[in-house]
Amino acid sequence: MRDLTEKALETCSKEGASYADIRIVTIKDEDISIKRGNIQALNITNIKGFGIRTIANGGLGFAGSYLVTPEEIKRVAKLAVRIGKASGATRKKPIEFVDVKAVEDSYKTPFKKDPFSVPTEEKIEILVEVDKRLKEYNPDVIKMTQSDYRGHREEKIFASTEGAYITQQITFAGGGFSCTAISPGTQPQRRSFPGSFRGNFSAEGYEYFESLNLLENVEKTAKEAIALTEAKACPTEKTTLLIDGHQLMLQIHESCGHPTELDRVLGTEAAFAGTSFMTPDLLGKLQYGSEHVNMVADSTSLTGLGTYGYDDEGVKAKKVDLVREGLFVGYQSSRETAAIIGLEESSAGMRADNPQKLPLVRMVNINLEPGDWKRDEIIADTKKGILMSTNKSWSIDDKRLNFQFGTEIAWEIVNGEISNIIRSPTYTAITPEFWGSMDAHSKDDWKLLGTPNCGKGQPGQVMYVGHGCGTARFHNVRVGITKEATATDGVQ
Amino acid sequence: MEFNKELLLEKGQFVLKEAEKLGATQAEVTISMRNSALTRLANSIIDQNVAERHATVSTIIYIGKKKGSTSVEVLDKDSLKQAIEQAAKIAKISPENKDFKSLPGPQKYSTEISIEDFVSKNTLNATPEQRAEFATLAIDSAHAIDKRINAVAGAISHIAVENLIMNSLGVEAYEKGTGSNVNLTVLAEDGKEQTAGWSADNRKDFTELHIQEVAEKAARKAADGFGMKYLEPGEYEVILEPAAVGGLMFFMSYFGFSAMMYQDYISFLRDKIGDKLFSEKLNLWDDSFDKRLVYQALFDDEGYPKSKLEMITKGVVKNLAYDTLTADKDGVKSTGHNAKFRGRSMPFPGNLLISDGNSNLDEMIAETKNGILVTHFHYQNAVNPTKGIFTGLTRDGAWYVKNGEIQYPLRTLRYTDSVLKFLANIDLIGKYMDLNDTQAKVPPMKLPAFTISGSQKE
Ligand SMILES: [Zn+2]
Repeated sequence: MRDLTEKALETCSKEGASYADIRIVTIKDEDISIKRGNIQALNITNIKGFGIRTIANGGLGFAGSYLVTPEEIKRVAKLAVRIGKASGATRKKPIEFVDVKAVEDSYKTPFKKDPFSVPTEEKIEILVEVDKRLKEYNPDVIKMTQSDYRGHREEKIFASTEGAYITQQITFAGGGFSCTAISPGTQPQRRSFPGSFRGNFSAEGYEYFESLNLLENVEKTAKEAIALTEAKACPTEKTTLLIDGHQLMLQIHESCGHPTELDRVLGTEAAFAGTSFMTPDLLGKLQYGSEHVNMVADSTSLTGLGTYGYDDEGVKAKKVDLVREGLFVGYQSSRETAAIIGLEESSAGMRADNPQKLPLVRMVNINLEPGDWKRDEIIADTKKGILMSTNKSWSIDDKRLNFQFGTEIAWEIVNGEISNIIRSPTYTAITPEFWGSMDAHSKDDWKLLGTPNCGKGQPGQVMYVGHGCGTARFHNVRVGITKEATATDGVQ
Repeated sequence: MEFNKELLLEKGQFVLKEAEKLGATQAEVTISMRNSALTRLANSIIDQNVAERHATVSTIIYIGKKKGSTSVEVLDKDSLKQAIEQAAKIAKISPENKDFKSLPGPQKYSTEISIEDFVSKNTLNATPEQRAEFATLAIDSAHAIDKRINAVAGAISHIAVENLIMNSLGVEAYEKGTGSNVNLTVLAEDGKEQTAGWSADNRKDFTELHIQEVAEKAARKAADGFGMKYLEPGEYEVILEPAAVGGLMFFMSYFGFSAMMYQDYISFLRDKIGDKLFSEKLNLWDDSFDKRLVYQALFDDEGYPKSKLEMITKGVVKNLAYDTLTADKDGVKSTGHNAKFRGRSMPFPGNLLISDGNSNLDEMIAETKNGILVTHFHYQNAVNPTKGIFTGLTRDGAWYVKNGEIQYPLRTLRYTDSVLKFLANIDLIGKYMDLNDTQAKVPPMKLPAFTISGSQKE
């Protein structure tokens, strides 16, 4: 492979590029889904290809192809330089990168059981059994069942004209299940385990999927789905809100992860995902949250979906403060964006979801650092409130200020104890007000969770990212916001 | 990109033959060649600029009712052979899919339209330099509108695709086509406030993109956006520009009209087919043969012929969109709406039209007593799909309209409302507009009641 990468970089230099890098990537993905007792998906994907990024005439160019042959690499290298030159012509000043130490290295996320060595039959067997037991729990009410497994592996080579040559292997696996209870005259109610949207994932091997103990959680999950059909609706009020990991992760993702992506802050996503309220003039000044809020972007923490040795620009993984004791102190960045606002180095946040896609600033593991509390202590310390779990819906504005979330389930908290189940819970708030009201975060149920579904960029890319968190408490939050809309129950 | 039907046929036949050797009782192969390029603007420069070349071969093998599938991005025979073997291996160990009856048999495709008309030579020959020229035109046109314009963002792109779907029962479906898009978000700033405007266009022929018109329209919206005010949440009349209507229709068709969503108890149309749920002014259908749409197609992602699908006629819910699997489950025929995405598939009607009316934006504004004018929505999502409740935010321009006149621009608004409620009555439907700012062909419309659930204070 090294002769191919060298040829590519040589061609770029010869064509007039001042910088070039090439990524040659193979992706293997196993996706299994059982729905209502049937195979919904059983698919193996193999992607191979390369992408060449250049700076020419001060502009950035990128081109890729599926065909990893010397002739095609030469054609694409020339095209990437030509595209760079065309971009450069529109720039006011040439693109600049902060320095990076060019290294030769290799890295591998650790695993005990290779997900691609475990027979597919074994995975199917577990999923089918989960699906069957969900249905059997109460065939009259549990109408919709689904169980999922996914294993993923990327083998990446990165080489640059600065002399870097890095090989990496990233592996993740995971899964989960969900069921929907329907009883006459009530709304369908879904309940998922361990999280919604096909479960939870971790940069480990098959042992992570096994550790989820899906079968042991069938009964509790089905029971909750059925209980939701009889539960009372979420009240409309301002209250104390407790959120556990499988909702808190998405709260962190949307209201801290996205707005601290520096490319987004600088306007790169203005026409698509949006911009950010966390602008450079607020760095070190904005009180983002209460003194209990500490958020980091950490690509070094083991088992996270945002864990790697080097990013797709060859920058070594690191841990960067985003919010420290409530104060906004840092960004997720790239070599280009760091240079624009005068940072010394990139946060190592660049990743692409496909060999033929341009790396973008992507979340790594965006973690809310553990607090001093135990989950039970937070509940015991709450006189009146609502505990919400498992994301169901989300929507947030393009500056990441105004958000609205819905979860699968909630419980009333009365005098320090978990009480009645609440259906269709929703809450809405403004980002700094919301995090400003956080006064407790737990450590005992703190977990590094992962979602493989983060969309960004044009053309679109879907990235897998991690979020570490436990259970947190917020005050004076507006809940039950769909009351106006649910008042249309009478409409056919 | 050069089309090469013979190459695709040769590879397709190879896959089917290998599948048969491995014991497949039925097999399907999809070969897709795709060249695309996209120039992305930000801060009034070309910020990202990319080109891709893909070749994907997806193989589905059935052994009885057991199915295995693989998707690979390679074309050489050895790699293809491996992929087919893997699909066969999976099929052998897979549990039976009880709903599966058969892949579709040989099909006749519409001769109303010709695939040669799907292709524009100009798009095939588009260059990075042409995209850069368009980018410069977009940037200059927008900045010329108003001194306060401070950033042009967006994307200019084109694509060429060639698809072959073959199966062991005799389906042989070949299609090619080109497309192009411009979408621009123009930002303006006066030292106190930042505003945004948006517009877009889609064309088969890259050189026909209305770059200047899109840039000027987006810039004018940004320039007209200063002096934004807060609006108290509540129920208002609403004027939806075509892009706003198109966005709503996407969600409505995805969550409501897909037979899979229906069978999964997610659709808000459950047990309501045949009911009059919407205003009798509303006619919604899917028709991939309609030449008014930018993109046409002869068949769906399993090679089944497309057909016109009446979805809402005079407010009455008519039909769901089916593919063969969901159709077999309900004992009906596929409507030709299979859509495959990342190894999964579902029926989805994506060639949408709403019949237009005689009104226009000016008349709608004049007829509005207490309402809002919306350019388009951002970040829409289903809050409760079984009740048709969706949420979303206004973006790139929303204005308050009172007693027939636009009063002032509004800060970001959030709507949370059920389509079953807000489309139950429609005041006015306009004529189609010039730009193809969504891929659906939809007119602007005015609704009497739309629920704003949240409003940005500052
Ligand atoms: Zn995201």
